[in-house]
Amino acid sequence: MSPAGPASDLPEQRPTATILHVDMDAFFVSVELLDRPDLRGRPVVVGGDGDRGVVAAASYEARAYGVHSAMPSARARRLCPQAVFLAGRYHRYAEVSRRVMAIFRDVTPLVEPLSLDEAFLDVAGAERRLGPAPAIAHHLRERVLDEERLTCSVGVAGTKFVAKLASEAAKPKASPHGPRFGPGVVVVAPEDTLGFLRPLPVQALWGVGPATLAKLHRMGVTTVGDLAALPEANLVAALGRSQGRHLHLLANGHDPRAVEPERRAKSIGHEETYARDHHLRSTLDRELVGFADAVAARLRAEGLAGRTVQVKVRFGDFRTITRATTLPTPVDDAASLLHAGRALLDQVDPSPGVRLLGLSVSGLSEAGVRQLTLEEAAKGPGWERAGRTVDEIRARFGADAIGPAVLGGPDGLHVKGRHRQQWGPGGRSGDEPSTQGDRGPDGG
Amino acid sequence: MKFRCERDPLVEALNAASRAVTTRGSSLPVLSGLRLELHGDQLQVTGSDLDLTISVRAAVSGDADGVAVVPAKLLSDIVRALPPGAVTVEIDDDEARIGSGRSQFAVRTIPAHEYPQLPEPAESSVSLDAGAFAEALRQVVAAASNDESRPILTGVLMAAEGDGLRLVATDSYRLAVRDLPGTSVLAEGQQVLVPSTALRELSRLLSSAEAVTLRLGERDVAFEVDDVRVTSRLIEGDFPNYRGLIPNAHPNRLTVGREQLLEALRRVRLLAREATPVRLVLKADSVELLAITQDVGQAHEELDAKHDGDELTVAFNPEYLIAGIDVTPGDEITLETIDALKPALIRGVDTPEFLYLLMPVRVS
Repeated sequence: MSPAGPASDLPEQRPTATILHVDMDAFFVSVELLDRPDLRGRPVVVGGDGDRGVVAAASYEARAYGVHSAMPSARARRLCPQAVFLAGRYHRYAEVSRRVMAIFRDVTPLVEPLSLDEAFLDVAGAERRLGPAPAIAHHLRERVLDEERLTCSVGVAGTKFVAKLASEAAKPKASPHGPRFGPGVVVVAPEDTLGFLRPLPVQALWGVGPATLAKLHRMGVTTVGDLAALPEANLVAALGRSQGRHLHLLANGHDPRAVEPERRAKSIGHEETYARDHHLRSTLDRELVGFADAVAARLRAEGLAGRTVQVKVRFGDFRTITRATTLPTPVDDAASLLHAGRALLDQVDPSPGVRLLGLSVSGLSEAGVRQLTLEEAAKGPGWERAGRTVDEIRARFGADAIGPAVLGGPDGLHVKGRHRQQWGPGGRSGDEPSTQGDRGPDGG
Repeated sequence: MKFRCERDPLVEALNAASRAVTTRGSSLPVLSGLRLELHGDQLQVTGSDLDLTISVRAAVSGDADGVAVVPAKLLSDIVRALPPGAVTVEIDDDEARIGSGRSQFAVRTIPAHEYPQLPEPAESSVSLDAGAFAEALRQVVAAASNDESRPILTGVLMAAEGDGLRLVATDSYRLAVRDLPGTSVLAEGQQVLVPSTALRELSRLLSSAEAVTLRLGERDVAFEVDDVRVTSRLIEGDFPNYRGLIPNAHPNRLTVGREQLLEALRRVRLLAREATPVRLVLKADSVELLAITQDVGQAHEELDAKHDGDELTVAFNPEYLIAGIDVTPGDEITLETIDALKPALIRGVDTPEFLYLLMPVRVS
């Protein structure tokens, strides 16, 4: 009888590499270049242009100067003053993204979008129809290039996280002499997984942040290979049971997560970072009015209603607090969100200066299900119908056709919405509803 | 101040008064304390958050009269932890010494003059039967709102109704109305709004009592039960016109065994998760209960019942429905409906003194 090896209780790995991770190359910038071909070959940065904006995407020419996404825009300007800075057009990116995702869904229904510009695909079932997974990967790249004039990089592996690392290896790289093309498709066959992982730095693994990294370095672990060589018990002793076991599995090429199509949003929210700190409750209140309007409109657009309302406040010193309340019944109207949000904001003293304000709703359910109130039975429909009327007016006449009166100014009405948002310190994820809060640490 | 008494009655008095002491930070630090006042052999322990005050009398053997304020939590914890038997409490200028046997504690007191002047209860009083009042509170108080942002709805309306007293509460999803005929407490046309928090505290005291004395003042109301007095500030403002919320007629009436329906609902509720409702399919001689939670599962149960009216499906929040049926008296109850979007009325057969109006959950 053979002794139970350390790998005997590990989750099964697929016999062949059939999971794809597709990542668009410099997506926002590439979309901008489609519309502005004159900027091709120049350093281009998409992101917030205010004092506190951050970079959402940078062309490979800009990356050669050290500019990368999530970097403060001000720093990007210093590194690469000659770059062209663009504010970003969410709607345009979303529109292109929808078409790209539709191409993915032609290949397999098992598409799990992570954000506008990346997705996992499980092509195990598509192989019989379309050939082996690596061929599908090449076919996908060609179709996306052909139909959208955009390039993407594809990783093919037996698990999600190895596929993601493989797409990283497939990407073009910035260099002082211009972008160097990558291989475009990198396939890591299951039997090559350990060899592929071994030389990578441990921080390439999902879940290794600065704190874990420091602990691992103290243990003499710098590469994934070092980590894989450690007995699981040592890792559990150093990092705790769940983290230790998790990293042990990953380092040995195991990732039990399946590709999950149609991940449902866990929360819907809106937040903004301000160019200058706000100290007045009245200013924040006006912001909240706009946020409630925007969040309610999104809830209705997605046919959802939520019970838990959360207000997030980040002060000038980056201290961040959240306050939440759970309502007796799910809501999708701005008046209810505002009412709850105000009560939460009452618990916060804005006088130290508020840098970021956010309002979000979780505990989402189908909006069709709603606890009715005695008042509306007696008086007829209230804000609920008003909200739907607002939606209809906006659908016909545009977002700024109607909105809360306090958002009006001398130059007209400016309602809040994703399309208006500057990329703040939180980067893209801050305004990305479908991934807010439910995204693993490997996202981004 | 100095007195001796048995540990257990003292623990009881301290615990009862502590329930009015706010655990959240108060604007007045002195309110984190219990006020002790000794006259002869009578100790009065008072806790208050200004809205709610609970005052307890306890018989002790007094040595020296006085007034002091002692940190509530610490004092209760100490006395509760002492060995059973006699406890000695001696308080001078700024220190309370609590001892029993060989255990001795010294606790810094809070200056007694900082304790706010609390309203005196009204002179005139009315006595109510504790059992009937307790039942009425049990039926009504749960329907009051917990949402502090709508203070009016956190109260229970006490109103003169005919020759009796009427209690009403609503959180806007349901409405409970209970009449206590023959209990004249208020002048004709008079009505007051009492915080449900105070009535919840009162409910805890009523189970062992025979009578409750009510003293109604201008801005507050006091309830006295044995040695405990619960005083509450009244809520100012107009209670919603609840009569206008109750439909004049319901075309459909289901009659069903109360206990059978309750038990079935408690079973079916297990599959009504994440705010999904329970659906009631009302048929001529049965009612079907159905709960479906997406990605979890479903439950179904059918009960014999009598239904006069159209076949119809109505969905309710199971918690609200169960709470209402639970406090409706009688072996048989009626559920009267108009349609899936209008308020439903729950009453006991032959018990006109209580009604529970519940709004459905809309399922599209």
